[in-house]
Amino acid sequence: MSAVTELPPATPTAPGGRSGPAAANKARFSTAWLWSTPPILLLAAAFLYPLYLVVKQAIEGSPPDPANPFKVTTSFSDTLKDPGTRTVVKNTIEMAVYSTAGCLVLGFLLALIIAFVPFPGARAVSRFVDVFLSFPSFLITVSIMFLYGRVGMVNHIASSLTGGKHDTPIDFIEYSPWGIWLAELIYFTPFVMRPLLTAFSQLDSGQLEVAASLGARPGRVIRQVILPEALPALFAGGSLVLMLTMNEYGIVSFTGAKYQTLPVLIENFAKEQTNYAGACALAVINVVLSLALFAGYRVLLARMSGGRRAAVHA
Amino acid sequence: MTEAEAGRTDRRSASPGGGGIRFEDVTVAYNGTVVLDSFSLEVAPGEVVALLGPSGSGKTTALRAVAGFVRPASGRVYAGGRDVTDLPPYKRGLGMVVQQYALFPHMRVEQNVAFGLKAQKVAKAQIPGRVAEALRMTGMSPFAQRYPRELSGGQQQRVAIARALAIQPSVLLLDEPLSALDAQLRSGMLAELARLHRELPDVSILYVTHDQIEALTLADRIAVMNDARLVEVGTARELYKRPGTEFAAGFVGNSNLLPVTVAECAPHADGSFRAAVRIGTQSQPVAATSAEAVAAGEARTLCLRPHLLELAAAEHHDNAFQARVTEVQWRGSSHRVFAEVHGHEVRLDANELRNPPGIGETVWFHFSAQDAVLIPGSGAALAEGGAR
Amino acid sequence: MLLYTRRAQRIAWAVFGFFFLLLFVLPFGILVLAAFTRQWNGAFPSSYTFSNITAAFHKDPLDGLETSLITAFVSSVIALAVGTWAALALDAMRNRGGKALIQTVFMLPIAVPSVVVGLALLVAFSQGPVLLNGTSTIVVMAHCILVTAYAFQQLSAAITRLDPAYEQAAASLGARPYYSLLRVKLPLLLPALTGSLALCFALSMGELGATAMVYTSHWTTLPLRIYALDDRGHQFVAAAVTAVMMTITLAVLLAISKIRTRANFR
Ligand SMILES: Nc1ncnc2c1ncn2[C@@H]1O[C@H](COP(=O)(O)OP(=O)(O)OP(=O)(O)O)[C@@H](O)[C@H]1O
Ligand SMILES: [Mg+2]
Repeated sequence: MSAVTELPPATPTAPGGRSGPAAANKARFSTAWLWSTPPILLLAAAFLYPLYLVVKQAIEGSPPDPANPFKVTTSFSDTLKDPGTRTVVKNTIEMAVYSTAGCLVLGFLLALIIAFVPFPGARAVSRFVDVFLSFPSFLITVSIMFLYGRVGMVNHIASSLTGGKHDTPIDFIEYSPWGIWLAELIYFTPFVMRPLLTAFSQLDSGQLEVAASLGARPGRVIRQVILPEALPALFAGGSLVLMLTMNEYGIVSFTGAKYQTLPVLIENFAKEQTNYAGACALAVINVVLSLALFAGYRVLLARMSGGRRAAVHA
Repeated sequence: MTEAEAGRTDRRSASPGGGGIRFEDVTVAYNGTVVLDSFSLEVAPGEVVALLGPSGSGKTTALRAVAGFVRPASGRVYAGGRDVTDLPPYKRGLGMVVQQYALFPHMRVEQNVAFGLKAQKVAKAQIPGRVAEALRMTGMSPFAQRYPRELSGGQQQRVAIARALAIQPSVLLLDEPLSALDAQLRSGMLAELARLHRELPDVSILYVTHDQIEALTLADRIAVMNDARLVEVGTARELYKRPGTEFAAGFVGNSNLLPVTVAECAPHADGSFRAAVRIGTQSQPVAATSAEAVAAGEARTLCLRPHLLELAAAEHHDNAFQARVTEVQWRGSSHRVFAEVHGHEVRLDANELRNPPGIGETVWFHFSAQDAVLIPGSGAALAEGGAR
Repeated sequence: MLLYTRRAQRIAWAVFGFFFLLLFVLPFGILVLAAFTRQWNGAFPSSYTFSNITAAFHKDPLDGLETSLITAFVSSVIALAVGTWAALALDAMRNRGGKALIQTVFMLPIAVPSVVVGLALLVAFSQGPVLLNGTSTIVVMAHCILVTAYAFQQLSAAITRLDPAYEQAAASLGARPYYSLLRVKLPLLLPALTGSLALCFALSMGELGATAMVYTSHWTTLPLRIYALDDRGHQFVAAAVTAVMMTITLAVLLAISKIRTRANFR
């Protein structure tokens, strides 16, 4: 399986040559395919075929069932036309865009300080960022409830400051998009920071010093030296976060269900309303949206010079 | 072996005797760019051949074609007595040492050296002995239990050689094995390699380098490469004393290359020819050696080694030409004098001079006819060649 | 270095400290605090207790912990095997189309929402020849699919970084491809292997979306039980269980990284 020859024969064997090289090459060619087939088949059976069934069911809809008159029947176009669906799609995109924007700003700022205004413990902080990436997302929702929730710590402090006139001066977390936004901001910012820190570590610090010695103020250095170098990483991290927030289930479902996004609605359709056709239709919409973003992400990642390891988790 | 036998062996396996290496018209192309062009070369069993050439000339590619890491687009490669063109690298049984050594970082020295033996399923009982022998030959026995990262550059290099020698190859391929070492260590390792080869007289070595000193010291023969082609091949002495091309003259040792016109040519007692040549159109002819007869009036390039030129005090010297000094460099134990003759720069290297000439002074450069070689010249290489 | 005056540096550090503490450190502190809280009526808990923690080791959460650990171990080991295989196959593949095929197929689960992965399994295995609905297999399968993509990505990145000189040296010494894979390539990939095992394990421990679709009452992972606790108003127990889960996950990650130290040669 391991190809020791680093490249295939670039030019075909000369007319006088024997058939040897060609045959050997063909053998190696088919060996590579032979080795690739089992994992592909495995994933195809476990994942691609089920995914195909989802698309199929979304398109076919569910026919009325004479044995069960209460069964919900839906077709793809029903689901698409439903104003409820439209609101949820709009919510999903909006939340993803706002969260990503917040993550980009905060992630860039924090990464900038870690990388270029170093302080003792900066390495430990960047370690912490790595560990953070492996935590489950709902953990954030659980804990910000204690902090900013209706009866949370911040509310108590605020209400004691206002002299107890309002019970809940800060009422944005439960059942509101702001709680989801804050949780997504916290959870996904490290996903932006990781590729940025990698990109920053590859930046020649001499450039910054030369720029400063030429009289550029920090703002100009950031805009004209750091930002152009960081742009690919920023794009890569941003589009990854855009995709992940669009697909996020844990944070939204833990917050409370008034503000719905596609993944939560899919779960709701399938598990509570047993409306599989509707769930499949929503799933197709969700997959198309996030695949489009993922394709963009892969293109950007491929362009990112040397930053290949800054992929999803690195 | 009788001549008939040799001929039969040759025809049957088309191999150079029992070992050695042979390239037959090997062409290698990367994505359509030819980087090795109809390369033919033979390394006899027990012979050391150095592949010498500038960067990018295709030396590594030639070596990797023998090892099996690049596949020739056409031509055949023979090694160790058989046609290996279609064999995968692991069936070729050649020892190879590359510039960065590629020692397995997760194995101790001993395990590194034993790797090839285990991979080839050599009988278990034999392995310790052969590992110990390879380590002894390279002087690495005391370090058998170390990891590669715990060794110095020179020690790592010895382990890489020991690892290649342990499989007892009939052919050893060395790709710039000394280039990662500093100058002092390099000359020590060079002597070491020469000693190793005396200890293993049957092993053929193909030694890639762009360092002419390494090539001259170690090699029985030198193959000079340029621009994907083999330019010239010969013993170190031949190439140095009687270069046949301007490129070889410029690349093997330093040389002054001057365009000359032949005035007359006559056979000499040693089988070569003596020619009288003019450097400028009007100047007095000087005597030089030529490998072939040349007609009067033909253009040639005269190759003069800087250290074989002498400053002559007066014009009455028989074989000398006049030049105007442009620069004098004092280099401690020696002097280097640059001078101009008919628009060409000529360099002279001499032991420290008591009375070095002044700049602008006119001096006479004297040389012996057997040290001056005529090369079929194009004159194109003069610009670079003349200043070397 | 970007800022040269002491004052500007201090401002930058203050900004960093503010956000870092508020957004990243405080949530963890609060979670731990809540895990030990009996009553929380004011700004700070009014009384503390260990009973949440002991509750976390009672039957229900303990069951969930066992389920989660088994699921995470099984699925991350399978994912590592399949992901490594696919990454090696990708490396051996010379055909451009073949490369693109492997990459697309194995990256797809990252792009597809986890809920949809669960839905797809539900749709495919609730009917037809293979009935898996309501089994633990379908939960493990969902986790496998999700984390295989990450294992594949990590391993193929590590393989690209691997110096081909090692494999070539092995081949020149007579090692056949499978021998050099076993003795040279995989040992050199060991740090990446343990690293992605750790990542897969952590991701599987925290997985919620796909599991919510396919779980059954006898195979309910810990995150789902935390969700249920939270939903029923047992926030402090939920916090305690979350804290216990994080501690155990971190302990496993630490254990896996210990394998690393022996394998880290360079
Ligand atoms: N894998 C490759 N793909 C494309 N071109 C290559 C590859 N390897 C080498 N080349 C090209 O082939 C030519 C010869 O390379 P080679 O490595 O043989 O040179 P070399 O004589 O060993 O040079 P050096 O002294 O610098 O090592 C170079 O022009 C190089 O750019
Ligand atoms: Mg080379």
